[in-house]
Amino acid sequence: MFSFELFTQALIAGVVIGVIYALMALGITFIYSIVKMINWSMGEFYMLGSYAQYLIVVYWLGPDLWYVAAILSAAAVFLAGWLIEPLLIKPMFTGGIERRDDYATVVTIALLLLLRNLATALSGPYQRTPGTKLPGVMLGPLPESGARFAAFLAALAAIALFTFLLKRTWLGLALRAASQSRVGAQTSGVDVLSLDKLAFGIGVGLAGLAGALLAPVFMVYPTDGVVTTTKGFEIIVIGGLGSVPGALIAGVALGIAESLGATFIASAYQNAYGFVLLLLVLALRPSGLFGERLRQA
Amino acid sequence: MSGAPPILEARKLSKHFGGFLANDCIDLAVEPGEIRGIIGPNGAGKSTLVNLMTGVHQPSSGDVLLAGESLVGRKPHEIARKGLVRSFQVSRIFGNLSVLDNLVAPLLAGVRTREARQEGAAKARRLLELTGLTRLADAPAKTLSGGQRVLLQAAAGFMMPSLTCYLLDEPFAGVNPVIKDQLIALIEEESRARGLTFVIVSHEMAVMRRLCRKITVLIDGRVVAEGSLDEVAARADVVAAYLGKSYAG
Repeated sequence: MFSFELFTQALIAGVVIGVIYALMALGITFIYSIVKMINWSMGEFYMLGSYAQYLIVVYWLGPDLWYVAAILSAAAVFLAGWLIEPLLIKPMFTGGIERRDDYATVVTIALLLLLRNLATALSGPYQRTPGTKLPGVMLGPLPESGARFAAFLAALAAIALFTFLLKRTWLGLALRAASQSRVGAQTSGVDVLSLDKLAFGIGVGLAGLAGALLAPVFMVYPTDGVVTTTKGFEIIVIGGLGSVPGALIAGVALGIAESLGATFIASAYQNAYGFVLLLLVLALRPSGLFGERLRQA
Repeated sequence: MSGAPPILEARKLSKHFGGFLANDCIDLAVEPGEIRGIIGPNGAGKSTLVNLMTGVHQPSSGDVLLAGESLVGRKPHEIARKGLVRSFQVSRIFGNLSVLDNLVAPLLAGVRTREARQEGAAKARRLLELTGLTRLADAPAKTLSGGQRVLLQAAAGFMMPSLTCYLLDEPFAGVNPVIKDQLIALIEEESRARGLTFVIVSHEMAVMRRLCRKITVLIDGRVVAEGSLDEVAARADVVAAYLGKSYAG
């Protein structure tokens, strides 16, 4: 039953969803590289983004202005992260905490439970959708939903903007320096603690943007971030923790693996193919495609 | 030169780590333009002193002053911006940034006008030449040899726009003679050209004799002697601390 057309379709569908997954992975890896912690509540920031998109589209701007809503939603999630970081994450560096990894894990899982249960309490367990008026498009041989294609384009734009910020601006240089040596950056006069705040905000903002963009595709409900977050972490392990190109390439690779597996093997196991890829990478390159062996600074 | 108010001063500076007294009531006064050496056996508290002065640790008691202004309670990046810059024993270069970007990074702390940037770029090029790293300007810093990293780290400190006083912690450790000479030349050149103040922690007595007219000896967290290298080396307690009591004669 192999047909070249089917293969091409699956490939394109994989790239489209993979780029959106990569957005999530970028957020995780970016926070890790600056703040040196894994944020386990990324999915809840995705969820916040999806609810923000829902509220803004349904009660204010309408589905025609989905892109304005997505920018506003991402900005709102950035702001949430920017405000939460000094309360929960900063004590990791200023409170004399010795086991920072453990602290970050406990604090962000607590935050996960809080946000998820708040969402359930406030909105109930219902699935909602902001709706979309975008017409379907043909990507070569593949008919693709308008919302999904729009999310793909917006994710590409966000990744381009993020890369520009990182590679071409003074702030980007400060962020790259801090990611390699926090102490070195401090010695250069960089206020690493306020960079943390910014990096945490940007990282969760990327998750929030993914949530906003995928709101009409995957629905909005209190645990809607779980699947995408899982993919995000799979991508991080495949691409290598702390690597931006790794997150992009692994995101697309994961999307393609899922899409090809669902098309040619069995669609019921779609979420499992990523794990097969993950196991393969772990067996062959334990630090990920672009990961470096951890050096404690 | 004597009589000028000190640029860098420690007053009755102490630091406990639990029950261990790493620095015990240290008084130190470094004059502007001076190249001060700090020596002492391992565990004497030299690195602790550097860490206290640069805000990495907070003192248990006492005060640190830069140009008369107290630095206690300031964060490391604030102290660096005020002009007290340090290097580390273990190099803290940015491995994935290019050699040139490593030099440009300290400009992040300064003014970002066009002229300041151009001036910074010119300074970076001059430092690349002085350290012989011009050829490697665009290479990722992690490809440098150990000695080149030491040079790069030291050079990056000179890029801090506000730099007035440079603390070098064991800059010559594990560095080959060629690079050592380059580093010494760099320090002498910057001292002469800009009148910078240096505090150098090192075990390399030959280098210390060449660079520093005055040396402070730390033993067991206390200042036990101050003077030229020959003066302090003549003291029985200093010899005993370095070589064991039987040599103290």
